[in-house]
Amino acid sequence: MNTFKTLYRYEMKKIVGRKIFRVMLFSCQLITVVVIAMHLSGKSYVDGEVVDTHYNMFLTDRAYERALSGRAIDQTLLKETMDAYRKIPDPAGRWTLTDEYQTYARPYSAIYRRISLFLDRDFLEDVLLWEADENAFYQARLSYLEDHWQKNFLTDAEKEFWRGKEAEVQTPFLYDYHEGYIMYIISFNILNILIPLFLAVCLSGIFADEHTRRTDQLILSGAKGKTTVYQAKIAAGATVSLAVTALLLITAVVTALSLYGADGFGMQMQAELYPFSYPMSIGQACLIMSAMALFAALLTGILVMLLSELLRSAVASMAVIISFVLAALVINIPSQFRFFAQLWDWLPVSFPDRWYVFDVRTIPLLGHCLVSWQIVPVLYLVCSAGIAVLGRRIYQKYQVSGR
Amino acid sequence: MELVIDRVSKQYKNRIAVDRVSLRLTKGVHGLLGANGAGKTTLMRMLCGILTPSGGTIALDGVDVSEEAYRARLGYLPQDFGYYPEFRADDFLLYLAALKAIPIKQAKEEAAGLLELVSLSESARKKIKTFSGGMKQRLGIAQALLGEPDLLILDEPTAGLDPKERVRFRELIRQLGEKSIVLLSTHIVSDIEHIADQVLIMKDGQLIRQGKWDETQGNLESFYLECFGEVDTDEHI
Repeated sequence: MNTFKTLYRYEMKKIVGRKIFRVMLFSCQLITVVVIAMHLSGKSYVDGEVVDTHYNMFLTDRAYERALSGRAIDQTLLKETMDAYRKIPDPAGRWTLTDEYQTYARPYSAIYRRISLFLDRDFLEDVLLWEADENAFYQARLSYLEDHWQKNFLTDAEKEFWRGKEAEVQTPFLYDYHEGYIMYIISFNILNILIPLFLAVCLSGIFADEHTRRTDQLILSGAKGKTTVYQAKIAAGATVSLAVTALLLITAVVTALSLYGADGFGMQMQAELYPFSYPMSIGQACLIMSAMALFAALLTGILVMLLSELLRSAVASMAVIISFVLAALVINIPSQFRFFAQLWDWLPVSFPDRWYVFDVRTIPLLGHCLVSWQIVPVLYLVCSAGIAVLGRRIYQKYQVSGR
Repeated sequence: MELVIDRVSKQYKNRIAVDRVSLRLTKGVHGLLGANGAGKTTLMRMLCGILTPSGGTIALDGVDVSEEAYRARLGYLPQDFGYYPEFRADDFLLYLAALKAIPIKQAKEEAAGLLELVSLSESARKKIKTFSGGMKQRLGIAQALLGEPDLLILDEPTAGLDPKERVRFRELIRQLGEKSIVLLSTHIVSDIEHIADQVLIMKDGQLIRQGKWDETQGNLESFYLECFGEVDTDEHI
């Protein structure tokens, strides 16, 4: 155990002692902060004229949304919203520029967005045809969900499963201002690129550098060189994967909550716009997303290390992971090829995304429907273990020759 | 203490690098000579367990080369290898000591002693990236001696050392040969002329000559030339 601890310590030192590690860590943290903060920068223009700064608009909307916090989205609130929007004089025109919108309707814009989405009506003049009705509102939401399930090629069993979950959801929803958590969830778009890139750059040399540097001769001829060193390298790589991911997640959450506000942790997820019926709060959703990012980072890290040993080239290993990241960004398998589409969305470089973690497509197992955040971590752990065992075989069979 | 090499071969696709080499080595310094491509390094790598023979067996006191117990008794200085530039000299030795499963307390004592032995005590806390070629080679020798190995395999150990250091290390190797099996490969005949108890000469993967120093009538140069015929003596001697 002491040998493992000592070797682990030195393997950690090899990874974090490099300048590229510090440069990458700083760069990734900076990018994370800037991406989250940049929603507040810039100005809004109409006909070339500045209407307002994004920051002012954010402050105004936040004040209105906080004023709605704690209120149920019930008949009263829906009616207030519709009445306020009906005061807009020309619903077919540029109504957001009118004083009536700014004065009466804007304070209800968060509720309006939900009405518009669930009724599937994009234009104000169409929304205004609707008479506020709490039952119709929640019925429209159910129709919207049924439509979403259909588009995702859900089986009858899955639809039944979701109907059951939907029955557990409490209505009317209680609204709470929750922008900080939404910004954190959105930040996974950039974290899904930064984390694999970081791991590709910082872990791709873990085995490859020993071969190119020719220190493999010393390591493999050592008593523990073929066994404990491998374990120490994998453990160090896994630690770095998890620690760096945790650090970037903390950077993201601290930035998001400090800039946009930390209130709304307990708001039920269904009050947000995602068509997901599992009863949970938006805060719990953030925690689940974070856990998924950690599992994905573990698998990505182990995969980078396998490539490092297999290809014996840090650059080639990096190229493979970057190709995966790019492929996940640009290739979208149509949802009718459900099996492949689902599998593709589970790639660790793309999975920690709200649409995949809170996916309505499930996995049937022993008569139960398991949602992706329940099954994918298990799959990742199994794959990580399998890859680690495979890597060990490759590592132990390596022959130092031909130099 | 005996290292038994029994009909060991290494064959690549269309080339035999080592061809049925058999040897029994006991305590003492054994000089391995041969021209480039003779198979010396391949043989040494097989003796270190980092290259699997195509045929034959290698065992130290009956322990097969593939076993951890064999490697626990081994010290190896490769001909050409890299270092961890961000490591300090003492870190490098402690890391390799851990690889050899030497307990940390013993490792620290040994590392300090070995750095003293190779005149690197004052540079123990310096990063290896600041070291000269000769300092790195001395550090390499120190790491090979960690754990007081029973079997010491040194591939060109004096490369990069200045003449004064070379003389010092010849003496050190001679002393090590009193309690260990030392197999030393070199191009430089004078490196082993006065310290090798036995001379082994390889050519085209085969062991073509094996003899005691006195069998060469004290003239290793002519012994070497006898085996290789016309060679450029400047290159090898």
